[in-house]
Amino acid sequence: MKNMDNPIKLQKEILKKTYLIALLPIVSALITGAMDVLLGFVFGLVISTLLLRLKYNNIRRALKMDEEKAEKFIRNRYFIEYAMYLIVLFTAARNQDLNFLAAAVGLFMMKFTVILWTILDLFKDSIQQKLESYK
Amino acid sequence: MVQFSPEVVDTIIRAAALLGAGFAMIAGIGPGVGQGYAAGKAVESVARDPEARGNIITTMLLGQAVAESTGIYSLVIAIVLIFTI
Repeated sequence: MKNMDNPIKLQKEILKKTYLIALLPIVSALITGAMDVLLGFVFGLVISTLLLRLKYNNIRRALKMDEEKAEKFIRNRYFIEYAMYLIVLFTAARNQDLNFLAAAVGLFMMKFTVILWTILDLFKDSIQQKLESYK
Repeated sequence: MVQFSPEVVDTIIRAAALLGAGFAMIAGIGPGVGQGYAAGKAVESVARDPEARGNIITTMLLGQAVAESTGIYSLVIAIVLIFTI
């Protein structure tokens, strides 16, 4: 990933890439007319975007504390976020207008993007190293 | 051989599914403990090298975002077990 020393730019980069990848399922859901899938996916994606922002704010706050306090703070905040995920998935499962699996995939989209981009970066680095070794 | 009525079998399946959902939720504890530990170490690192703060925040943000996915997997499995059976 680029911008590893600037958290705000990194967040923007992650969001940009996530939305770019998310266009594919959104457009395919629009074409097939599966509105519950579209709504569920967008619902999950929006919540995961907001939770990324919340996580950034929590980390920034935690770094101003001492070690033990930060540990406890982040642990407590994780369980609050976990409860939010529970509410989102519960809502998606109960509501007939939202597809549960699409909402789950929307929530995971950002994580998949980060993992995918890291693997691609590793792949690119290894290819570059091999090219340099040939020179 | 003991034969159960369909209602009893249905109740056993439902109970097993709910028990499985409860066990799946245990997986949600691990990432919380791990994230807390990572945060403590990040604070230690910032105290040692304040100039690397930005780099530490981004590494922690990416690490925590990916680490919590295992917790959400368990949540999805638990909800599927509760609502589909």
